[in-house]
Amino acid sequence: MIVGGQSLVTSPPVFSHDGKKLLVCTGCTVSVFSTTTGMLITELEGHTERLTSIVVVPVAGTVGTKFSNYCWTASLDGMIFYWDFSTPDLLKKINVQLPVHSFVIPNILSASLGRSDKASQNLYAFISVEDANKGVENGKHLHGSIQIYDLTNSTRAGGVLAETHKPETLAVSKSGEFVGIKKKQQLNIWRVPNKNLKSVNMKKLKLHHTRTLSCLAFHPTKCIVAAGDVSGRILIWRGFGKMRHSQDGGGKMKIDMGDRPGVRGEDDADSCSTWHWHSSEIKFLMFSSDEAYLFSGAKEGVIVVWQLDTGNKTYKPNIGSPLMYFTDSPDPSLSCVSCEDNQIHLLRMPSMDIIKSISGIKPPLILSELQGDRSRVIIGCDRSIGFVALPTKDYRIQFFSLLDGTDISHLQVIERNYDPVDETTVFISLVEVSDDGSMMSTVEEKLPEMGIGGLISLKFWIRGSHTGQYTLSTIIYEPHNNAGVSDMAFCPGRSMAVSTSYCGNFKVWVNNSSFIHSGDEIQEKGGWRCQSVSSYKEIPMTAAAFSGDGSVLAVAAETKITLWDPLNNVLVAIIGDSLGPIRRLAFVGSSEYIMSFSSGTKADLVVWNISNLSTHWSYKLLVEDICCTRSETRVAVLALLSSSDKSISTGKDGMVLVFDVENPIPVSTWFVKKAKGGRLSFINNKLGEATDGKLLLAYINGEHNYVLFDPSNVKEQEDLIPKSARRPQSYAHDENVSHGYASIYGELPSFDLTKARSSDSIPFVLSERPWETIFSGSSHALPPLSKLCSPFLESLLQKAEKQTVLSQ
Amino acid sequence: MMADEATRRVFPTEPASHLRPRSRSVKSLVSTPESSFWRTFRSSTLHPSYLHLPITSLSFSPNSSLLAAASSTSVRVFSSLSLSEYDPDFDPTLFATLPLPDLAYSPSFRCDGALIAAGCENGAVRVFDLPNDKPPKTLRRLNAHSCASRVVGFPLLDHKLRLFSAGDDALFVQWDLPTETPLFSVPGAHRDYIRAGSPSPVSPDVFVTGSYDHTVKIWDARVDSGASSVLSINHGHPVESVLFLPSGGLVATAGGNTIKIWDVIAGGKPVYSVETHNKTVTALTLAKVRDDTRLLSVSIDGYLKSFDFSRFKITHSMRYPAPLLSVAFSPTGTIRVVGTNNGAMYMGIKKKKDEFEDQVGSDDFAWSVPLPEKPTSRKNIRYFKRGQSEKPSEGDFIIKRPEKVKLKEHDRLLRKFLHKDALVSVLKTQQTTSIMAVLEELVARRKLIKCISNLDNDELKLLLSFISKKATQPWCARFLMDLAKWVLEIRAEDIRSGGPEMAVHVRNLRSMVAHEIQVQRSLQEIQGMISPLLVIAGK
Repeated sequence: MIVGGQSLVTSPPVFSHDGKKLLVCTGCTVSVFSTTTGMLITELEGHTERLTSIVVVPVAGTVGTKFSNYCWTASLDGMIFYWDFSTPDLLKKINVQLPVHSFVIPNILSASLGRSDKASQNLYAFISVEDANKGVENGKHLHGSIQIYDLTNSTRAGGVLAETHKPETLAVSKSGEFVGIKKKQQLNIWRVPNKNLKSVNMKKLKLHHTRTLSCLAFHPTKCIVAAGDVSGRILIWRGFGKMRHSQDGGGKMKIDMGDRPGVRGEDDADSCSTWHWHSSEIKFLMFSSDEAYLFSGAKEGVIVVWQLDTGNKTYKPNIGSPLMYFTDSPDPSLSCVSCEDNQIHLLRMPSMDIIKSISGIKPPLILSELQGDRSRVIIGCDRSIGFVALPTKDYRIQFFSLLDGTDISHLQVIERNYDPVDETTVFISLVEVSDDGSMMSTVEEKLPEMGIGGLISLKFWIRGSHTGQYTLSTIIYEPHNNAGVSDMAFCPGRSMAVSTSYCGNFKVWVNNSSFIHSGDEIQEKGGWRCQSVSSYKEIPMTAAAFSGDGSVLAVAAETKITLWDPLNNVLVAIIGDSLGPIRRLAFVGSSEYIMSFSSGTKADLVVWNISNLSTHWSYKLLVEDICCTRSETRVAVLALLSSSDKSISTGKDGMVLVFDVENPIPVSTWFVKKAKGGRLSFINNKLGEATDGKLLLAYINGEHNYVLFDPSNVKEQEDLIPKSARRPQSYAHDENVSHGYASIYGELPSFDLTKARSSDSIPFVLSERPWETIFSGSSHALPPLSKLCSPFLESLLQKAEKQTVLSQ
Repeated sequence: MMADEATRRVFPTEPASHLRPRSRSVKSLVSTPESSFWRTFRSSTLHPSYLHLPITSLSFSPNSSLLAAASSTSVRVFSSLSLSEYDPDFDPTLFATLPLPDLAYSPSFRCDGALIAAGCENGAVRVFDLPNDKPPKTLRRLNAHSCASRVVGFPLLDHKLRLFSAGDDALFVQWDLPTETPLFSVPGAHRDYIRAGSPSPVSPDVFVTGSYDHTVKIWDARVDSGASSVLSINHGHPVESVLFLPSGGLVATAGGNTIKIWDVIAGGKPVYSVETHNKTVTALTLAKVRDDTRLLSVSIDGYLKSFDFSRFKITHSMRYPAPLLSVAFSPTGTIRVVGTNNGAMYMGIKKKKDEFEDQVGSDDFAWSVPLPEKPTSRKNIRYFKRGQSEKPSEGDFIIKRPEKVKLKEHDRLLRKFLHKDALVSVLKTQQTTSIMAVLEELVARRKLIKCISNLDNDELKLLLSFISKKATQPWCARFLMDLAKWVLEIRAEDIRSGGPEMAVHVRNLRSMVAHEIQVQRSLQEIQGMISPLLVIAGK
C-alpha cells in the first residue's frame, strides 16, 4: 500500500540546526528533505492526526552534539513527541490530551545549552490548544487557550495564559524573550522570565490595531514587533513593553503620552509605523537574520523585502503562487518559502534565487461561481505508468507519479501569464489521457464577462520521448460551437477520440498525421480532424466511452445510452433509461457489460448488458467515480455516503466498493474520507516485489491525497489513509557541502581541544572562547580578516597559557 | 523538482489563432528570397504617348541601358542612363523618337547598342543609328515583306552586319545590312502569321520562329534546305512568343495560356509545360534575379510571373491593372518594364541593393588579399567586444541565452494593471489582432466593462471607430457585436452628448449593421435555394 499526496504547506517547515535538512509536516508524518537535493530523506511516523508544529533543538555548541538532530513535534492528536530525526527514533512521548495547534519552546536555547547539567532548568513550552468543551461552558465560544507546559516533567505549569476564540498561532522571538499571539485586533505579548516560569508572573502586554491582525513576528534582538493585518498593512511597533516589562511587578509607570507617533491609546510602545504594499491579508512576516530587513508575503506571490530603518522595499516576484510561510535557516544563505500550490521553494538568500523546489501534488482547482455539473474539473490518469495529470491554477498540467510520489513535469497548456490575485476566469476543465499515455487532450474554458468573449478550446497533445513530456498537436477552437465539452474518450489502439457536448452532439476526431522525428523534437504534419458529427434527438450528450477493442462507442444522451459504430458513424442501438442524467460511462473489460452512473437527486449506478440491451443490476447510490479494468471483470466504484449514514461522524464520507460485474454483491468495501471530487483508477503495478501484473487500485480523494493498494490483498474495512508511508526517495548525499563562512574561506583548522576536555574538571564558559563568537554573523558583516586575525591568534595564545597553568 | 523559475516565461497577449485572419494575407506575408528581391523594385507608371495605344513591344539595349518601346507609329527610345539605381527620383527622359511610316513593331538593338531596327505594319524594316547627341537617322530600309513585319531581330552574338525579320506574310529573311539584301530567305516559312522569333544565344545563324499555325520552327542559315526548317515543334496554340533560353539548347514558347519548354538538342522533346496564366500569354523575356536567371511571362490577364526554369517552379507573380502585351528586363538587372494595351508602361526600378547581393559582393572580395586586421589594444572598444560575434562551429555545444520577450506598450501597461491605458494604447496602433488580443485579455481579467465605462470621450471615439470598422468581420464578429451592444448601452449618455464626431461613428455603425443584415438575408436566400437541391441530391 502506498500513500501520498499530503500537503506540504499545512504548517511552516523547519530547518535542522545545520540547514541541511528541512522538516516538513505532511499529514501525520514529518518528512525530512535534504536541502541540497530536494529529495525526501526520511519520515517520522507516529502521530495519528495532522501535525501542527515542529521545534528543532538548536545546537548546544559543543562538539559532542554536532551531529545531533533532535526535534519536538506537536499534533492535533494531543501528543508532543521528541525525536532524533537522523536515525529516526522516537525518544519521548508527552500527552497533552488537547489538540495542539501551535507549540513553541522559548527557552530552548538556554535549556539545551545547560543540558550538560540536567537539573539546571526545565524545558517549558507554550502551547496553543483547542478545548472544545470549555468554550461551550463559558458561553463565549472561547475554543482556544494558551497554556504553559513543562516538557521536562510532563506536567502543565500553571493555568491558562489566555483564551481565544479559536486556537491561535504562537510566535516567539529568536532570543526566546518574548512570546506573542494575535488576538483579533490586538497583539498579546508575554515576556518570558528566565526562571520560575509560572503563568501568574507572566506579564501580558497588549498592542491595539483597528483591523484584524493576521500574523506577527519579533525582531531577533531589539524590542520590535511587526504585525500584518487582513487588509495588507504591516505595523511595526518599536520599543514595546519598556514600561510594563521593566517594572517587574511594580506599579504602572506613568506613560508619556506625547511623542509616540502612531501608537494607539495606552499601548506600551515607543512608536508604531505602518507600511502598506500588499493588497490582501499578510500571510507571513519575518525579520532577516542580520536584523536589517523584514520579509513579508501575501497572496500576490511576491516577497517584499522592507528595509527596516527606512521602509524602502525591494521585491522578489515570479514565485507564481500565493505564499504561505517563510522560514529562514541557521545558514544565512538559505531560506525557504512555502506556496499555496503545495510547493516549497528553497531560496539562496541575498539574491532570493530559487535553488530547489520541493513540490507535492497540486491542490485541486477550486472554481467559484460556476454552476453545477459543469464546474467539475476532470483529472487525467495514465494507467500504464501510473501518473495523474492534474490541471493547476497557473494554466499548466502537473504530471504526478503516484507510484513514486514525485512530481514528474509540468506542461504549460494555456499561454497566459498567471497572476495569483486574479480570480479564475480561464481554466483547464478537462484532461483526458489515452490508455497507453501516448495521447492527451485538454479542454480549456474561458469564461465570458457579461456575455462577451467566452471561448472553449480543445487541444490534442502527443507524448514526446520522456514520460510526462507532451507536445501540442492540434488546437480546435470552439469544438462544439459555444457549448461546453462534457466528456472526452480515446479509442484504444487507434488515434481516434470522441468529444461530447452539452449542445447535443458529439464529434469523432481522428489523427491522420505523419511524424517527422528530428532529434529530440517531433514535428507533426496534419493533425486531428473531425471525422464525423452525430447527435441523438438533440439531447445533451454527457459522457462517452469506447469498448476495449474500440469497435463500439457508447455515448450517453442524458438518461439513455446510445451505441455507435465509430468508424461509419452509424447508430447501432439504444439502451434505455437510467434515473438521472448519466455522468460517466465505462465498458467493463471485454465483457458485454457497460456501467454508468448518474448524479443529482435520482442518483444511481447501473450495469447494462449490451447483448440484450437491458439492465443487469443497479444500485441507488450517489457515485463519484467508477473505473474498470481492461481485461478483468472487476470494477471499482467510489460512492458518496449520504449525510444520514452514521459513519459521517468519523469524517468518512465515502466508500470504495469493488464488484465483480456479474454479481451485484460487492467483493470488498472500504470507507474513505473526503470522497467528494475523488477519483479511482486501476494502474499497472510496477513495483519490484509484485511484477505479477496485478493491478493496483488508486484512489485520489478530493484534496488530492491518494492511496494505492492491491484490492485483493487489503482487508475490508481497513482505514484507507493509514499512517505508514512511502519509502524515502534517496538518502541524503552531498551532506558535507560547506556553506556560509566555510564555503568562502574553507574549513577552519580544527583546534585540538580534546586535551583540555580530557582534563575536564574545569567547565568552559562560552564567552571565553572568542574564536566561536568572533566569526559569527553573516560574512559581509564581518570585519576584515586582517583585523580578525590578531584577536583570534591572541585568544589562542591565552588559551594555551591558561591550559598550561591549569595543568600545572 | 527543477527550480522552475527559469522555465516561467512571460507570455505577451496574443490573440487565439482562431481570431487571426487566415488565408491570403498570411500567405503573402511568407517571404521568400525571391519575393523580397522583387519587393526591392520601386514601381512607377509611364505614359509614352497621350494616345491610349497598346505598347506592342519593349526592348532594352544590351549595353547602354536604352529602352525602346513600340507604340502606334513610332518607336520611342528612352534614355535610362539616368536610371542609376541610387537615383530615387528617376524620370525617364525621352531620348529619341524613331519615325516609322505605319504602326511600329518589334524594336531591336544591335549587340553594341549602336543601331536599332524596327518592323512596320506595311512590311518595311528600318534600321536607325543612335548617336548620343544628334537625332537618330534612318540608315537602311529593308523591303521584302509584303505584310506587317512583326519580328525583327539582331543576332545576339557579335555579328554586327546581320539582321533577321519575319512577318505576317510568313516570310522569314536574314539580311545583310550593308547591302540591304537578303542572305537567307524562306518564303512561306509557316502557314500562318509569324508573330514570334528569337535568335540563338550560341550561334549567329540559328533562329527560332513561332507562328499562328501552332508551330515553332528552328532555322539554320548555314543549311540552305529550301522551305524546310531544321526542326519543327507543335506548340498546340497560336504561338505569341518564343525565346531561346541562355544555354541555347532549350526554347521557351508561349501560346494560348501555356508556356512550354522544349529541348531542341534532343529533337524538340517537350520538357515542361506551365499553365499558370488565365489568358493568352503575350510575351516572354529573361531576367537576372541575383545570380540566377528567370523567365518572365506576361499575359492578357494582367499577371507578370517569374518562372524558375531550373527548378520548373513559379517563384513570383505580380498583378497589374491592365492586360499586358510586352515585357522587358534590363541587362543590368535593375529595371523591369511591362507594356499594357492601354498605352501605359509600368516600370519597376530597383531602389536598393538587397542583403543577398551584399553577401555576394563580399564573397567576391573573399579571394582578394584580406586587409590586415587592426591590432586591438585595450583602448579600443573592439578589444572588449572581441569574440562576441564568433559563430559556433559544428559540434560546439550551444548554450542559448534565454530569449528576452519584447513587450509591446500594451503588454507593459497590462503588466502594471493599467487596463484602460493598455486598451487606449492598443487602439491607437490600429492593429486589429492586437486590439482583439487586449480585449480578450481584459475579459479574462474581468476588467473590460470597467474599462469601457472609464474611457473618456476621445478614447471612446477611438473604440467606436474600431468597432464600426471591424464589427462585422467574421472572425471577430461574435466578440465585437456583443461589445458594441455593451458600449452603446453603458455609454449612451456620452455618445448622445458627444458631438458630431461621435454621431458619425454611430451612424457608421448603424449603416454597417444594416448592411450586415442585408448580407445575412441574402445568404439565407441562397441557403434557401441550395438546400432543396442538396436534399434532392441526397436522395
